[in-house]
Parts: sequence; C-alpha cells; structure tokens
Amino acid sequence: MNLPYLMRLWCLSLASFFLLHVALGLLVSLTAPWAIRTASGMEARLAARLLLALRMLPAGLAVLIVAGICAPSYLWLEPEASAERVGWGCLLPAMLGLAVLSVSMARGLRIYSRSNRYIRQCERRGWQTRLGRGRMPVCVVAGEAPLVALAGIVRSRLMISRLVMSALSPEQLAAVLRHERAHGISRDNLKRLLILLSPNLLPFFRGFGALDRAWAVATEWAADDLATEGSTRRALALASALVRVARLSAPRPFPLLATSLLADGAGLSARVDRLLHPAPHRKEAHASPILKALAGLTLAASLAGLILQPATLHSVHELLEDLIR
Amino acid sequence: MIRLFQNLGSNRKPVTPWSLGPLEVAVLEILWTRGESNVRHVVDRLGRPLAYTTVMTTMDRLFKKGVLNRRKCERAFLYSPRLSRSEWEHQRTGDFVAGFLSEHPSRDLLISCLVEAVGQYDETLLDELQKKIRTKRKELYRRGKA
Repeated sequence: MNLPYLMRLWCLSLASFFLLHVALGLLVSLTAPWAIRTASGMEARLAARLLLALRMLPAGLAVLIVAGICAPSYLWLEPEASAERVGWGCLLPAMLGLAVLSVSMARGLRIYSRSNRYIRQCERRGWQTRLGRGRMPVCVVAGEAPLVALAGIVRSRLMISRLVMSALSPEQLAAVLRHERAHGISRDNLKRLLILLSPNLLPFFRGFGALDRAWAVATEWAADDLATEGSTRRALALASALVRVARLSAPRPFPLLATSLLADGAGLSARVDRLLHPAPHRKEAHASPILKALAGLTLAASLAGLILQPATLHSVHELLEDLIR
Repeated sequence: MIRLFQNLGSNRKPVTPWSLGPLEVAVLEILWTRGESNVRHVVDRLGRPLAYTTVMTTMDRLFKKGVLNRRKCERAFLYSPRLSRSEWEHQRTGDFVAGFLSEHPSRDLLISCLVEAVGQYDETLLDELQKKIRTKRKELYRRGKA
C-alpha cells in the first residue's frame, strides 16, 4: 500500500509501539510473579509503588522510545519523498497498535463517565456534610446498600451510606475516614485510571491481571498503614470497622473509579490480621527532594545524549526501513 | 432441498437433562457406574423388581432422546451414556440457569440471590475475626492498666 510521508510516520510509530509494548509486556508478565513475591516482603506503600511502576513500564517505555527515538530518527533521516510503499509487516502491527490503544482509551473513558454519573446520582440522592478531624467532605447516601468508597479523580469525595454511618461507632467511623483519606492522599483513583488507560497486551487480552490484583491489595494495605500510623488503638478501630461493614452485606464488586473500603473481599482476613499484628516499623532513609531531582535530571540528560547520537539514530532508521518493507 | 429439511428434522436433538424421569435417571446412573451394559445387566442392578420390557423401553427411549449410544453385539444392544457424569451435570446446571433467566419473571431476584450466595462473607470467619479483635483489645487494656 502506498502512503504519504506523514501517514508513514503514523504507521511506523503505531507498529513500533505495538511491537515494543508486546515485547516489554511479555517481559513484565514473566517477571510479575517474582515482583509480587518481592513486593509482599516490602512496606505496603513501597510495594504499591513498585507494582504500579512495573505495570506502567511497558506502555510508558514504549511511548518514550517511539516519541524519543523512532519519530526523531524518521523525521531527520527520512527524505520527504512522495508516497512510498508500506508492507503488511508494518501495516498489521500498526493496526494492532491502533486497536490496543483504542480499546484501552474507550475502556478508560467509559468507566470514567460511568463513575462521574454514579457520583452525581449519589449526590442527588444524598446530602453533603463534613466529617472527622480534617472536616473531610462526605456525601451521605440514603438507601439500604452499605457503601463506603472514595470516588472521583481530581476532587475525591467520600461516599458513605446512612446504614454504615449508623452501624459504626465514632471511633470506627474516624478510622474509616482516615483510611479513605489515605487513598485520597496517595491519589489511588488517578492511578486506577492510568492502569485502565494503559493498553492491553493484545487487543482483547489484558495480560496484566496478577499485577493489577497485587497492586489493588498493596494500595489497601498502604492506606491501612497510613490510617493507623503505627497506633494499636487506631488499628483495632479500623479492624473492627472492617468486620462491622462486612457483616452488613456481601462484598459487591465496585466497577467504578473508586476505592471501596471492602473492595478486595477475599483479603479481609489478611487485612485484619495485619492490623492486629503489624510488622515492626522500619525507619526510612529519606533522600532530599533536590537530590532526587538532580539525580533524575542527570540520568535523563545522559540518556538523551546517548540516544540522540547520530549513530543510534541511523541504526534505528535502518530498523524502521526494514520494518516498513 | 426437501431431503435436507427431512434430515434436519430427523436429527436426534440431545434432550435437556431436566426432562428425564426417575427411572431414566436410575438407568443413567447404572451406566455411568458400570459402563457399557445390555438391558439384562441394568435390570439386575436396578434394585427394584421391574419387567425386562419396561427397562428395555426406557433405554430405547433414552437412545431416541440422544442420551445414550448403542451398538449391536450378537443379538442384544449394548448401551453407553453419551455424556460423562460431569458433562451431564454441567449441561444440567447450564440449562437450568439459562431456562430460568430466559423465562422466569423474577430472574433479577435469582441473579441477586446467586451474587449474595457467592459473595456472602462467611459468618464463622467474621466471628473468628471479631474474637481476635476482642482478645487484642483486652490485651491492650490489661497492658494499659499495668
């Protein structure tokens, strides 16, 4: 098929993205069991970060390589000739790349809009108030279904049903509020959206299920840790709140962009055990933010210098020429 | 074309598991346990006095319904189940749920009952967790007093 200059660039970018993403995705899928085992021995907050980084690595690195190396090498070294023939070896991965990107975008946007619709519905049915020490904005929802969830991406709101409010003691309610606030501080709903928007391994095969589940558990544990801050009294209050809410009804899957108090039903026993017998608090060595930023900048600059070498760009351009034929 | 329709019409459609009577189910159970058998073997194992011809008619009906396979051995037919026990159970459950969902007016109720049954927290587990919390609280209280 003959395609003009810019269409060839799109085609090459999509094909390179798909091939890189599949290769990196397979690598991540293969290393996932090891990563999950390693993360289970770490502090929950760090484990959640590690799992999220690994989850986003295939898409992030593929985009970075395509935008930082493939596209510049094409733009600088490909003569702006008229139409040129593009083979099926490039067209097919390009179409698959377009498909995985479209599927993930459609999924993310669909769930985002459903989530917003749900929040609006709750707000219409319920009433707004502020609870807890930090005067956290809360939407109290009428109805019999027990609900405790932090919803929303930019402006997170806690949705809580009247049933739960009346069932929990003030101490338990405060523990629940601290737990949900911890989710808000960690921006877990935004991370959830990023995971939803990150492409599948293949158009209709997600491929990162184990990592997604492990990340969800790690975020719950991290929020529990942040809510209790090493206090046994707070841990006991949160544990008893979890059991109390679990008694109210069956765990329901929460298909929206929200972090529900009992989203991971199967982990209730593990969470309560963890709260009752916390691991000894390890003192962390915090690097200063300026030092971190400097290290990051140095690494990025040296990588950019290495990548933008004429020899590197020429090699990449040759690879792209092979792909397009 | 006429032959095609005749052929389609004469194809034995596998029967839905729910339309079997108690004797048919008993025969099927014997065949699953014993394997390929003739009518005499089944009559001997039925555990209740039934005429040979009754059992023969039942097994012939099961063959016509598509539940059993049969082959001729000397002068008698040897019958064997077309589906294994687990395949049969699977089909039975699937047909029941599909039938209920497509026809029953309260299908939403069934779905919600199923969700509740599958998702319900085990009361024993919750009691156990509650006990652990209580013990820990007592421990904390005792330590605070000391």
